[in-house]
Amino acid sequence: MKSPLSIAAFDVGGPDQSRTADRAAPRAPWLGQRLHLMLVAFVLSDVLCVHAALAQRAPYESVLMPDSGKLPLTAGFNEVDGVGGAGLVPWALITGYGTADSWGANAHYTAVQLRDFRLRSYGAAVGALDRIEVSATADKFDVTGTALNGLNVSQHIYGLKVRVFGDAVYDQDSWVPQTAVGVEYKKNSGIGNGAAVGLPGLVSPTQLGALSDSGTDWYVSATKVYLAQSLLVNAVLRYTKANEFGLLGFGGDRSGNRSVEFETTIAYILTRKFAVGAEYRDKPHNLKVDDERAAWDVFAAWTASRNVSIVGAYVSLGSILAPVTKQSRDQHGAYLSLQVGF
Amino acid sequence: MYLRGCLVRLAAVSALALMSAGARADKTLYESMGGEPALRTAVEHFADLVQTDDRINFTFAEADMSKFKKLIFEQLCNLSGGPCKYTGRDMRTSHVKLNINNAEFNALAEDLYIALDRAGIPYRLQNKLMALLAPMQHDIVTK
Repeated sequence: MKSPLSIAAFDVGGPDQSRTADRAAPRAPWLGQRLHLMLVAFVLSDVLCVHAALAQRAPYESVLMPDSGKLPLTAGFNEVDGVGGAGLVPWALITGYGTADSWGANAHYTAVQLRDFRLRSYGAAVGALDRIEVSATADKFDVTGTALNGLNVSQHIYGLKVRVFGDAVYDQDSWVPQTAVGVEYKKNSGIGNGAAVGLPGLVSPTQLGALSDSGTDWYVSATKVYLAQSLLVNAVLRYTKANEFGLLGFGGDRSGNRSVEFETTIAYILTRKFAVGAEYRDKPHNLKVDDERAAWDVFAAWTASRNVSIVGAYVSLGSILAPVTKQSRDQHGAYLSLQVGF
Repeated sequence: MYLRGCLVRLAAVSALALMSAGARADKTLYESMGGEPALRTAVEHFADLVQTDDRINFTFAEADMSKFKKLIFEQLCNLSGGPCKYTGRDMRTSHVKLNINNAEFNALAEDLYIALDRAGIPYRLQNKLMALLAPMQHDIVTK
């Protein structure tokens, strides 16, 4: 049944703390500030603890209370841009385990080790009302082989996704997929350690031919779970001029315009908590120095609980900077991502 | 080239899966799941689970559980192509007073998955049954 104790503690605890903070504020501003911080921390920790203990309904529950109410797996994961999806491709699903009555969030850490490159990505995403998702992710890309060994490049990605219509799981009596539109603003922070390759002046992908160090991707994603077949099918059209996800800047000396690129995920759901699948993501080819190709992966995703998920994949990003590195072989390797959230 | 090989293999596997699904098409889902014994077992587990699930058990506080089990069995049997008639009220009428929200609907679905597991019904068939139940969210969730 309900746990009146924890609810009562939460209700009474908040106001008591705020009264303390109010009283203390005039005495010393820094003290007030500190108490305020403590109050915020207290409320946050309370919300987080209470939500775990209190999945049951209280008559006065609010949308502010995370309900962790979605079914396992249906929160998705955080793909390489930090958006709710699988490994390389965003889904129309809204991240986190909050239902339409609530909200949820995910933090992720992803490591990809390719033949000559390493990508590390971490970030957080919040989903509200099963309608809106905001995400922030930092990427760090290191060259670990070839003549460019030692170089690195980093970027930040800020995403917004809005579910427009459909429900991928419930609407089994309709062909209409869950459909979302999204935007990703990407800001390349530049190239680091150019000295390692004898080019101390190399600081920006614009010096490799890119037109800009920032850019915006627009996408439409449609996701459908064919429950009777235990399949998830997802397709994305992305309007982008990002080179290698934005790691090599935006636009270039081959083409400066955005192009429409296709991405897809097909996953087979093996158990309530485990799915395997494959993804494909077309990418533009804007730079002369980079024979950019499509990326693809085969993945396994395991939702240990609504709080922890792991995605492992074998991924190929095609050739990266092949004309420069003289390594034309496909850059492929392991992808591992950990997600913690509610 | 490698990718093409992968895709061809994937297509072949999918085609095989579809063909084998077609071969079983003459059998109803009810029969594939194990018929009355399997579904009765699942319903027993389901009733136990929902009554001990803190997320939803309060909605069963005043429920007549033997009637609940009878109706759920009828409904699952009927939906899966078994020889039963569902004698209960429609989903909207029977749930509107309970003011069910999404998390509660999903908790119920999760308990049903677990109950079907405990009755030895394979996950693949559980999903076939769930595909028939999922659209009921529109009628059941009224909050």
